[in-house]
Amino acid sequence: MANDDSGANHEDSPQGGFLSRCVFSTDHKTIGLNHLWLALFSVFLGMAMSLLMRIHLMWPGVHLPLLSSLGDSPDRFAALTTLHGSLMVFLVLTAAPQAGFGNYFLPLQIGAREMAFPKLNLLAFWATVASLIGLTTTFLIPAHPAITLWIVSVAVFCAASLANALNFSVTTIDLRGQGMTLPRLPLTVWAWFINAILGMLIFSILLAACVCLLSDRLMSTHFFPVLSFVANQPAGAIANAVPVLWQRLFWFFAQADVYVAMLPCLGLVTHLISVFSRKPVWKERLVVLALCGVGVFGFCVWGEHMFSSGMNPFSPLVFSLLASSLGLPATILVLSWFGILWNARVQLNTAMLFALGFISLFLSGGLSGIFLAGHDLATAAAVSDDFVTGHFHLVMGVAATFSILGALFFWFPKMFGRRLNESLGKIHFWLTFTGVYCVFMPMHWLGLMAHTNLYSGSRRAAIAAIVGPVHTFITVAILLTVFAQGLFLVNFLWSLVRGERVLECNPWRATTLEWSVSSPPPADDFGATDPVVYRGAYEFGVPDVAEDFVPQHLAPEQIVKARESGE
Amino acid sequence: MPGTTSTPDIEIIVEDIGGGGGGLPPSFGGGDDGDGGDDGDRRRDWSASPKRYSTAIAIGLVSILMFFMALASAFIVLRRSSGVWITVHLPFVVWPNTCVLLASSFTLEAARRRLFLADLRGFRKFWLFTTVLGFLFVAGQLIAWRQLVAQGIYIASNQASSFFYIFTGAHAVHLLGGVFALLYVLAHKFRETGVSRSMAAEIASYYWHFMDGLWVFLLALLYLGK
Repeated sequence: MANDDSGANHEDSPQGGFLSRCVFSTDHKTIGLNHLWLALFSVFLGMAMSLLMRIHLMWPGVHLPLLSSLGDSPDRFAALTTLHGSLMVFLVLTAAPQAGFGNYFLPLQIGAREMAFPKLNLLAFWATVASLIGLTTTFLIPAHPAITLWIVSVAVFCAASLANALNFSVTTIDLRGQGMTLPRLPLTVWAWFINAILGMLIFSILLAACVCLLSDRLMSTHFFPVLSFVANQPAGAIANAVPVLWQRLFWFFAQADVYVAMLPCLGLVTHLISVFSRKPVWKERLVVLALCGVGVFGFCVWGEHMFSSGMNPFSPLVFSLLASSLGLPATILVLSWFGILWNARVQLNTAMLFALGFISLFLSGGLSGIFLAGHDLATAAAVSDDFVTGHFHLVMGVAATFSILGALFFWFPKMFGRRLNESLGKIHFWLTFTGVYCVFMPMHWLGLMAHTNLYSGSRRAAIAAIVGPVHTFITVAILLTVFAQGLFLVNFLWSLVRGERVLECNPWRATTLEWSVSSPPPADDFGATDPVVYRGAYEFGVPDVAEDFVPQHLAPEQIVKARESGE
Repeated sequence: MPGTTSTPDIEIIVEDIGGGGGGLPPSFGGGDDGDGGDDGDRRRDWSASPKRYSTAIAIGLVSILMFFMALASAFIVLRRSSGVWITVHLPFVVWPNTCVLLASSFTLEAARRRLFLADLRGFRKFWLFTTVLGFLFVAGQLIAWRQLVAQGIYIASNQASSFFYIFTGAHAVHLLGGVFALLYVLAHKFRETGVSRSMAAEIASYYWHFMDGLWVFLLALLYLGK
């Protein structure tokens, strides 16, 4: 395999200049890496914000550098919350697993040498950068223009995501290498593909909502009437459902976006578990169907957020059923994970730990989701939402982050030709794992405690007495968890430069095509010959071969030869 | 269709073990058609199947449809829930204008038939005619806007007028994209390999007919919803 210099090397590549090799390169590996850098930057920015918010909640009087006005102005705090949410949801959870890892590994895993539309891909990346700059600027300018800028930035992000989704779906449909039939696709590719289709649908809805909202703000139309408009109308004319329209369009997108963030993670985790358990995916076809199911149901559950806002009385029932029916594909996935792990000789390295952590978080977050799919609590939660905050941070935020970290530990050797440090990684995992449970589980309790107005008198007072200490506990846990991430940053940066070199192509003994090329992959991905695929992506535990797996690209003759030479 | 992918003959390829790239004909060097990627010669002997363009347009159209469906559902929800709905009478010019757009679909098909018969002159004539009809339609929409403005109905006047401007505006922007695609097919020098002119014309025609149908749908929505 030609081991020439790769476009993937983000740092100083000797020839070609920084701009053309990294900034304006249409190479899918470079673009994928750039998306990951962007997500890394955003995740630390977003984390710093959550820390600020928590400090402010606990000690409102504390003077914060640069943010001295935070204490006096609720606007600033709202802006902080908005920015934290937008950065984390859009630029980290939506972008990193799909645009980041997807761009880098989708073509490599299907045997293509490029995405279907490389220039569109580059454009989408720079649109994402523009949207990040826009979102961040909103914090620094006055509230009124800031909101307009926020909407424009979100619209730009939508356009970028649409371009990405188009690229992903076309690449998967048309650019698969020889022999890469649909059943042979790795589950990561399935997840990226289904996710791209889902993204094509929902991001255009959010884009339409943004267009209406912008026209309201800039051209004084009344798609989403504000109070002043409502007040000017004749009595009785005010529809009670006016802001509901925005809520509908928004939740149509936002609920589905949870699955946009989760889908690639589900694929990644299944992949990791199979590789490190050295076993094929249990009921692989059913898992593919389940991933499709998550996509379809995820698209349909938008109404679940409308319980408290006056919809047709029958529709909550329908949506509640739909939300609960998401349990079916989720159960299939969980069963499959346990099916793989059953009797497996699990390799407990950091990537696998993060995948197992994901399962744990997915299960506990999913359980609290069942409570929320029940209509009553969701209505109550609209009043005080510590429960909801705990629920979606656990299942969407943290679980997705765990799978991103798992994928990073898994693919780091392929991307940079070096390994992340395992010991540091394990310490980081355990600290984070304990930390997030300490943060978000008490948040569930707080949410439940807020609904204890059924109780009276002394019992209520007793509950009120423990709310304060629980808040303090959460804040301390957040501080520790955030500082534990410093460990990851050190590990990441140190391993980039000094990490243990990986000389072999396939350090994890995995089967998919990206492991058949050198690390980091050559600029044209597969060197002189196009790869040919002969089998499915999870042939582990195969008897009669030298090692316990058969890579997808190995020809039957080569296996026979290897078998003969082995014996 | 030229350049279809190797998907159907996968099982045959599996037999063909020796040559990795044997199944695919050596095709164009990339970079001649907008998105081919032109990073020197490193992908000289590999290029993505031209079929990706028709796949992209099919998926892209679904996405555009979703965009307009979101607007349409907003229209229906507001129409039903609003007690202050003021009827906006559609300007007369939209009717002849609709005929112009419908006619353009027929001239487009006529052009494609000429191309199929290898009559390049006829193709250019009808294709150009279609483009002119497209421009005429956009101009007609502008006239419709001016007629409304003359009546004192602006985008912010009431919800019905907002929807009229938003629907027509968004559709016109998408249609202008189509007009540029038509001009591209007309002016671009297509090479022997890669995307052929007939394929480009076919892809542009999908988009154009879709825009045509979309306009009829939007017009029906505005007309019935008033």
